[in-house]
Amino acid sequence: MTVGPSDAQDEYAPLLDAVRGIRWPSRGVVRGGMPGAHTSRLRGISAEFTEYRPYRQGDDLRRVDWKLFARSDRAYIRLSNDRAILPTMIVLDASASMAFPEATKGKWKLAAQIGVALAAVARNSGDPVGFVVAGEEPLMIAPRMRLTVLHEIMRAVSVTRPNGGMALAPSVSIAAQNAARLVVISDLLGDEEDLLSVAGRWVAAGHEVLAVHVIAREEIDPPRESVTVTDPEVASIRRALTSETRAAYIEAFGSWRERIAHDFSDAGVGYVTAVVGDETAEHLVRRITAPRGVGVAVPQ
Amino acid sequence: MTFLAPWYLFASLAVAAAIVALHFIVVRQPRAGILPTARFIPESQAKSVAASSRPTDIAVLLLRVLTILAAGAALAKPVLTPPRRPTARVVLADVSRSARDTAALSDSVRAFYRDGDALVVFDSAARLVDANPGDTLGALRPTTRRGNLGAALIVALRAGSGLRDRADSLELVIVSPFAREELDAATDSIRSLWPGRARLVPIGTATVDTGTMLGALEINATASDPLAVTMPMARHAVRGNVIILRRGTGASVTSASAGANGSARGAAIAVDWPASARPRFAVQRARSDTVGGVMVADRGVIAPFVRQWSYPPDSLRGGEVIGRWYDGEPAAIEKPEGSSCVRSVAIPVTPIGDLVVRSDWVRLVAELARPCAAVTSLVRADPSDIAKLAGSGRLASRDAFQPATNTRSPLAPWLFALAIAAAVAELFVRRGGKAERAESESIPASPFPRPASRVKTA
Repeated sequence: MTVGPSDAQDEYAPLLDAVRGIRWPSRGVVRGGMPGAHTSRLRGISAEFTEYRPYRQGDDLRRVDWKLFARSDRAYIRLSNDRAILPTMIVLDASASMAFPEATKGKWKLAAQIGVALAAVARNSGDPVGFVVAGEEPLMIAPRMRLTVLHEIMRAVSVTRPNGGMALAPSVSIAAQNAARLVVISDLLGDEEDLLSVAGRWVAAGHEVLAVHVIAREEIDPPRESVTVTDPEVASIRRALTSETRAAYIEAFGSWRERIAHDFSDAGVGYVTAVVGDETAEHLVRRITAPRGVGVAVPQ
Repeated sequence: MTFLAPWYLFASLAVAAAIVALHFIVVRQPRAGILPTARFIPESQAKSVAASSRPTDIAVLLLRVLTILAAGAALAKPVLTPPRRPTARVVLADVSRSARDTAALSDSVRAFYRDGDALVVFDSAARLVDANPGDTLGALRPTTRRGNLGAALIVALRAGSGLRDRADSLELVIVSPFAREELDAATDSIRSLWPGRARLVPIGTATVDTGTMLGALEINATASDPLAVTMPMARHAVRGNVIILRRGTGASVTSASAGANGSARGAAIAVDWPASARPRFAVQRARSDTVGGVMVADRGVIAPFVRQWSYPPDSLRGGEVIGRWYDGEPAAIEKPEGSSCVRSVAIPVTPIGDLVVRSDWVRLVAELARPCAAVTSLVRADPSDIAKLAGSGRLASRDAFQPATNTRSPLAPWLFALAIAAAVAELFVRRGGKAERAESESIPASPFPRPASRVKTA
């Protein structure tokens, strides 16, 4: 089935309307670059005056406040805060484990909505936004500011079916080279250790990295009836979920989520848990984009 | 149809019922599903046991039940029982050396034997004629062996068990000359096991018991021969024939002397009993030994005898052992020779001691001088013994016989084949079912190819 641009837009239109007014400030000052909405480390000559500084040899004479020089007979440089853009890349995990539950594909749908909504918010904030669908056939959209980039993202997400078991860390590394802000939307089942290592390196390099951990309610609270379950990405992992093993599973999965949240936070990576059905994508986007709102979300 | 061993059938029915019950109990793995976080589940075996409202694997169940029932039915030996008639006969046909009238034998047997009856042919041994009794009836010929009615009666009992399902009453018919030598001490006891009267059909003509006629005993030996001492004492016991004991190698009984002495009183019987030379038909023993006694007919002597000769099996062909050492080896044999017979005795006679004058020894020597078997075999048994053999009362009822357990069941091999075929079919059907279940429960591998770089570990 071919999904056209209009179909994709219709699917995400209510969500885009809901996040229309949301802005997504940077967690800190950004590097210099093209003028944008985020406070830059550089101080330049924008109209937003900040302070004066005595002239030093080498300063640009055009930045000397001549009126003040006329009044005080001293040369001062007029300083102002610079604002720059924050290129944002969103990496969406499209492995087979995201197509869960089988009937509703809840994890994939929520992850896709979060990805599209964050892309819209970033673009509405004046930032170039790009997208990587890390599936069997990885698809990358370079960061751009034009309106059509959202259409491309929506169409790419709509035509993608979660499948296979591609590693996520290589996609994150490639995406991070083109962005200063990186959002990874995944269930983190697979190469989470490699992903954490890559994310930590880019954080150390001054990037802003955020991990949105998508979890299905059925993974947290599996059905009580006995069932033989299989990992969709590794068919050899086949276990019996019974009343005897259920408690051990819940404990092991909970411990793993706690460890993941702790490790990502320690690495400076923002970590948000998104449980399917607990929160809407809009609510999650508002939580993610709130000023200083991104932090360690303690797993339930 | 009846079953010779019905307990096998009952047991197979019980096993089949248990198998059917087991098919209502299902042991299966839980429903299969997908869970991306399956690696967090500890490994364990998961099988649930539950009762099902309908049997599982109906094809396998049917094949298993068929296997068990067919095997049980085969072991139970089903036989098709013919319609029961009022009376069946067990006909004993005497073909021993006593029954010399072949025509009378065949006619008598044919007169009593009908289809469905049992025919037992006997001489020293008896056998039940299973196949082609008509041919057997046409080829009845007397043998040279002594008859044994006891053995024939035992086989008749067995034949009666085989006939019990075909008739209400069983009649025992014995076609025989009823010679005295065919009866022994066990005959009465064995006859009493047949629960009813018997029809006796005598054949042949009775011979006068020559034992009542006085014969002569002569010895061809030196005066110092110890056996010569026994002769006067044994002579009075000799009946009917001229008996010549040959003790020397060179000395032989001439036909003239035998004829001269025996023509009036019967045929001369030569007893080859050398004092030191090799007896006729005997061979030198590899090693001489001593045996503690010897028996001839029912006469025994306990004394040490140094054995030097033995009779090889070939020497017994066509003859009869008339004396045995206490360890069972032949000590004296008799062979027919024309109308008379010749005897060979390998019993050493020692001059030391009082052996030759002992009464038991005298009786043994007299027994060695009895008439030939060809004559005694024609002597009819005492009327009282024959009357015991006939018995009295009604015919034997079928209920008095044990059901035969060695009857062949013609259906059993086919039932076994059916059981084996069903077992093999069950194997294939079961394997096919397993493969289908495994296929339905497995997760298709193709939708989730996995590069080596991403390996999950639980």
